[in-house]
Amino acid sequence: MSFIDAADVTYPAFSTDNCIKCNVCTTVCPVARVTDLFPGPKYVGPQAQRFRGGPSPDATVDLCSGCGYCTRACPAGVLIAETNSRARARMVEQRGTSLRNRVISDTDLLIRFGVPFAPLVNLDAHMPPARWLGELVGGVHRRAAVHPFARRTFRSWWRGRRGVADAGPEKTIVYFHGCAVNGFEPSLGRDAVEVLERNGFSVIVPDQVCCGLPMISNGLYPQARRKAARNIRSLASYARRGYRIVTTSTSCGYTLKAEYHEMLDLDDPEARAVSEATWDICELLSELHDDGRLDTRLAPMARDLPYHPPCQLKAHGIGTPAMDLFALIPGLRAIDSNHDCCGAAGTYGLKKERWQIAHDVGQPLFEKIVASGAADAACDSETCRWQISTATGLPVRHPVEYLAESYRSYAAAAALQGAMGERRPR
Amino acid sequence: MPSADVVVIGAGLAGLTAAIELAERGATVQLVAKGMAATHWAHGGLDVAAPPGARSPANGVARLKARGGHPYAILEPDLGPALSATFARLAEMGLAYRGDLRTALRFFPTPIGGLRPAAIVPVGQAPALEPWSPGEGLLLLGIERFRDFWPPYAARNLARQVWNPGPSRIESAAAALPGILELRNLNSLVLARRFDDPSWRAAAVAALRATIPGKGRWRIAVPAVLGLERHADVLAEAGDALGHPVFEIPTLPPSIPGLRLFEALRARATAVGVRVQIGFEVAGVERDGDTITAVATHAAARPLRISTRDVVLGTGGIGGGGLRGRRDGALEEPILGLPVAAPGSAEWLGGDLYGAGGVALESAGIRVDDQLRPVDPGGGVVLRNVRVVGSALAGMRYLAERCGDGVALASGYRAARLIAGEASNPSAAEAPGPARTAVAS
Repeated sequence: MSFIDAADVTYPAFSTDNCIKCNVCTTVCPVARVTDLFPGPKYVGPQAQRFRGGPSPDATVDLCSGCGYCTRACPAGVLIAETNSRARARMVEQRGTSLRNRVISDTDLLIRFGVPFAPLVNLDAHMPPARWLGELVGGVHRRAAVHPFARRTFRSWWRGRRGVADAGPEKTIVYFHGCAVNGFEPSLGRDAVEVLERNGFSVIVPDQVCCGLPMISNGLYPQARRKAARNIRSLASYARRGYRIVTTSTSCGYTLKAEYHEMLDLDDPEARAVSEATWDICELLSELHDDGRLDTRLAPMARDLPYHPPCQLKAHGIGTPAMDLFALIPGLRAIDSNHDCCGAAGTYGLKKERWQIAHDVGQPLFEKIVASGAADAACDSETCRWQISTATGLPVRHPVEYLAESYRSYAAAAALQGAMGERRPR
Repeated sequence: MPSADVVVIGAGLAGLTAAIELAERGATVQLVAKGMAATHWAHGGLDVAAPPGARSPANGVARLKARGGHPYAILEPDLGPALSATFARLAEMGLAYRGDLRTALRFFPTPIGGLRPAAIVPVGQAPALEPWSPGEGLLLLGIERFRDFWPPYAARNLARQVWNPGPSRIESAAAALPGILELRNLNSLVLARRFDDPSWRAAAVAALRATIPGKGRWRIAVPAVLGLERHADVLAEAGDALGHPVFEIPTLPPSIPGLRLFEALRARATAVGVRVQIGFEVAGVERDGDTITAVATHAAARPLRISTRDVVLGTGGIGGGGLRGRRDGALEEPILGLPVAAPGSAEWLGGDLYGAGGVALESAGIRVDDQLRPVDPGGGVVLRNVRVVGSALAGMRYLAERCGDGVALASGYRAARLIAGEASNPSAAEAPGPARTAVAS
């Protein structure tokens, strides 16, 4: 492959020359679907790119939510969403950004201060006056989906766990929990550990910080690079020895797999090793099942379950492994939402000037889920879960939580049966 | 590793048809495509064959077949059944088509005022092909500020065409639709989505009606933006309210009729169990001798491998990216490295792109045996479990012969029957196969 051929396919700014202006990207753009403010991926991507030598020609690129549908629909191989992300980073570099964007994208910081004061902060988050104030002063929309902080972080729980041994690369999973599990949904992390251990793996949780995605989405590349560097430093030694790094967040997972390279230009062997070692948990479990190695002693959960595969999952290019896992639970009928995007797009839907767009993008999905009459729904990405849950009023859980529940019920039933068997008089 | 009975590569008409036909026969099908497009670039009608002089699609097919090496030499028996199956499933998805192989080819006006022959079109375009009666005029009715449809320009060009019998007079007008003038971004998609909204639609149709010149009998041509998801409703309402027959003229990409066609087929494919994976570019394949055992697609960290028994290659011709010109002047088929039958690069552009014979390059493609398996120049089968469908096939001229949609449907249909073991030899294709499950009909 010549240098030019290689550049064509891997460097976003070069790929824009392949655009043939067919506008297919515009037909799949969730944001252009709901607002006239956004001219669509073709305009802010390959079209505007030609004028991006000096000062940024067009601020509307900031309305891109980064869902990536444009890139996947493009018949000419243009990396449209990636081009837009870089353009936003360039704009932030040239013009700066708000304190609000710096704060909401620094999830490590939020968790450090939020968790210790969880009872107070969480109360605030659900009081209308506090939310009004938050919108006025903080620029976070009063109706945006904010998840309560956990009382105790996942890492704190993990430290209290004893006797976890490293069983070598084949039998040990390096768990990248991400900020959502650490500071907001530690029970998902506990379920993930349980499911992995049930399938014979040891789980270890090395040093890690936020993957940096919220910063990438807000154009704060230098800050994101610092997070990435620390994660790579911690994870690369495992990756190089053949350990698998598993995430329960399709967003963190995609960042480790692709965005360090595609957005942040981190292309060294260490970053590559981390990328290649990273697995989404459903991807891993589904692969185990394909190889006949997944424990399928699962108790029935008879119900219809609306399932929304998030945009970040689609970017992985692995299909919808969760659907294969749901199919293993007797009686559980998962129904693919067949809807593009819930609108949340990480921090996008939090912002007061973006909330309405985010809500309109997800509206048909929310209606579909409510109309289904289901008592809950499933989704692999945290901010999408929170967005759907806030809009529908229903609990929305990660697919692996259903597996964990089903395993537990099976084990409980088996234990009960065992106990009954022992007591049964002859 | 995930597995499928069949991996279909390409989400155009050919790939979607093959995938749906296979899934309806009980196969597990993964459809992977680098992107979407073929349908979004086209007019949404089904061009079967309209070489110069052809009177109907069937007559066109006969002419093309008579010339050696055309895919119709193999595919003609599949064309009728493929079309009926397609019509049935599109109708079920709420998208009716008109015309058949014996319908006379008539002229259809283009948005820049050209004329192209057509016979099989979506119901929204069908009035354009009715014979013109004396005294009947054509009114090109545009939408103010919509840049993809210029009625005065189209009207002037149409007046210069040889269109006989055509409309007795051609006029143009444009309507200001509510809330449209204030928009920053206006394209066919924005308008089509607005038309889906019943209350806006009522006001818009009233505005269109107000611009119709008072006297005379008209046939009214509007840009093809009459709704996306609620197209049938919009069409009915516009027809009633305007008081004259109305038809849509497809505009620049994204073509709304093409989009409707794609979405109907994709929805159908999903409904019958096909996993439609858009954005899955093939990274490579695994072989065992002359058999493909797995297809790998580009993914974020490592290629996704899908093991499979059969492969359908529907990646298109030069326009679709199924064939690619190399810097050394040769054409290549980038996914499987199949031998490409093509003229030498010096002759590529010989001929007239829009003329009777087209350019030589158009006929380039993959040569196949009667089971649609790729063959080398000596006629030997290169890959035993690969079927080539659609515009990747050698010997067809998409533009000059207007045969792309017919070849796509017939080859997709035939590939599915071959893989399902229903048409192991060419003559069997005409009889209904024993294992045919009548889902579509």
